[in-house]
Amino acid sequence: MKLTIAHLYPDSMSLYGEYANIAVLRRHLEAMGVEAAVRNFTCEDPPDFSDADFIYMGAGTERRQKSVLIAAPRCAPALKAAAENGAVILFTGNAMETLGASVTDAAGKVWPGYGLADFTTVETDQRTPGDVVASPVLWDAPAVGFMNKCSVTHGIAAPLFHSLPLGFGNDAEHGAEGYVSGNVFATHLTGPALVKNPDFLDLVIRRLFALKGWEVPERLPVLPHEREAYAVTLRELEARIK
Amino acid sequence: MRLFFAIIVCKLLRFIGKLAGKGSSLPGQYALKICPDALGRVKLPPCVIAVTGSNGKTSTVEMIAAILRKSGRTVVYNEEGSNQIEGVATLILCSSSLSGRMRGDVLLLESDERYARRTFRWFHPTHFVITNLYRDQLTRNGHPEWVYNAILPAIHPETTLALNADDPLVSLFAQGHENVKWFGLEECSVSTKEHHGVYHDGARCPACQGRMEYSCYHYEHIGHYQCADCGYRRHETDFAVTALDLERGTLTIDGDTEISLAFKSIYNVYNILAAWSVCSLAGVDKETMASVINNYILKNGRMVRFTLGEHHGTLLTSKHENSVAYDTNLNYIARAKAPCQALIIVDAISRKYFTGETSWLWDIDFDQLNCEQVKKIILCGKYVHDLAMRFDYTAIPAEKISCYDAVPQAAAALAEDGGREDLYVVTCFSDRDKLLNLVKKEEG
Repeated sequence: MKLTIAHLYPDSMSLYGEYANIAVLRRHLEAMGVEAAVRNFTCEDPPDFSDADFIYMGAGTERRQKSVLIAAPRCAPALKAAAENGAVILFTGNAMETLGASVTDAAGKVWPGYGLADFTTVETDQRTPGDVVASPVLWDAPAVGFMNKCSVTHGIAAPLFHSLPLGFGNDAEHGAEGYVSGNVFATHLTGPALVKNPDFLDLVIRRLFALKGWEVPERLPVLPHEREAYAVTLRELEARIK
Repeated sequence: MRLFFAIIVCKLLRFIGKLAGKGSSLPGQYALKICPDALGRVKLPPCVIAVTGSNGKTSTVEMIAAILRKSGRTVVYNEEGSNQIEGVATLILCSSSLSGRMRGDVLLLESDERYARRTFRWFHPTHFVITNLYRDQLTRNGHPEWVYNAILPAIHPETTLALNADDPLVSLFAQGHENVKWFGLEECSVSTKEHHGVYHDGARCPACQGRMEYSCYHYEHIGHYQCADCGYRRHETDFAVTALDLERGTLTIDGDTEISLAFKSIYNVYNILAAWSVCSLAGVDKETMASVINNYILKNGRMVRFTLGEHHGTLLTSKHENSVAYDTNLNYIARAKAPCQALIIVDAISRKYFTGETSWLWDIDFDQLNCEQVKKIILCGKYVHDLAMRFDYTAIPAEKISCYDAVPQAAAALAEDGGREDLYVVTCFSDRDKLLNLVKKEEG
């Protein structure tokens, strides 16, 4: 069994160890007998995602996100086609913002996004970094992680997390966060979100198996330390909430 | 009159605070309430040197102070590391006469990179050293470009900038600024053609986001770069390390002055060069600078030697949430000759604030420990599972690694293992005393 991972713009959009999401996904797939090939893209590369089963982009600085947005009109048709074909897409950190209709920067300039969704984002000159506990729509266990954003996103009707017991959501403290539509997932959680959240990783794996028409095993592999690390972080953050 | 009262109150509170063992921010804070523009009214010394950047501020400032003092100058500086405006106000006002004239020939400031603009709203340094900009405490700093944007308004047109030419983001401060002096490292024994490290923050040009090309890397994104798109490139240097032998522990400055290194780290090389550059700009002669800096042992206690069981230990204070600091210390261990063990502690991520953020572990190049002389690696602390998972993605054999939830357990295991290998400990200020309280410290 083989599948292809497209990692978008890791030379620009890798601010918080995001490569780990790809590494942990590959490790789990290998444990299930799936060989995953990874193709790294730069903004200058032709945007051919036709063979990609999983497409990922991580967070970057505001300037680097804009360099991605400059190329967005050229890449949008390929990304939309991949989404329509059912590819599993995950954008984390401020890569999430690029999926929407536009990003308005702190100076007021409007940058069109990929347009896979019609939400819009406005940057501010204030950062709201902070730990996050999130209540997922698609799985049970709370998600944990970190956000480091300086923006507000409006117009999301289908969030990935229906509320944030800890953290700033799309447009409000404790509010709904992220975006989901079919196999397209987006969240402002930064860094190795799949590493920190084994249930989120399992969801991605199930969606990939379904896409490929493979039978999903009843139990997905659990690798050492993953559940324990998650439990410690959740325990610490929940103590913080109290 | 307000300045007069502010100075009196500041001195009084500082006196009481010292008796009570309190920090140095509060007196300045009250003084600034009495006279908000006090720092703009005080008559400062003719030379005001500030140092900022992600790493190396404290060490660089300490060496600058030592050199300037040796040259006969009276130096006032924030030795206690209070580097925000309140601490700076305490320092300046407590060093001033009641008429508002500061004593000393040189005011030397370690300046917090995010809050420099608050301090330098009221006065500006004659010389401003910017050492480097790395990923550092992203949980509160945002990211290096965000920090760049925070420092920019703190730079006054009349200030002479002393910039690290090898750091592309730091070099960007020169754009539109007239008075710039550059320091850097020539291609030398530590330089590589390939980039080393888990991530590459120099892959894109900070000026235009184009593709950056490097003729050599010294470490991480520090090296000799040129943008393939806009031509932005490393500037020629005014002060340079022209030769470096980290094995032997020697460096040569400007082709004619050899310096021995007490601590054989690339960090130390840049800190020395930064101190050298600004002291030279302040008019100190080479002989005086060399005599101080040669074999200079830092007093800030970042490196501590100790004994644990039969192990001779060296604690290399790193900073959590700062992968470059970790990488530099791991590189030090990788260059060790004798068999050794390495202990990594991640228990409290910060001593100043709470966070459970561990993504920075994935930015650290732990594969540097995948070498013959490192016999065992002990991971410990509350976040041991995050650490262990990170190590699962290195090429280090699993049988070399052991894990403990708490520092006392790890220390007990090391004390009783009967081994005599050297022990290197890499951890942060937030966690190091948890080990140091359990070991026998060595002098010097």
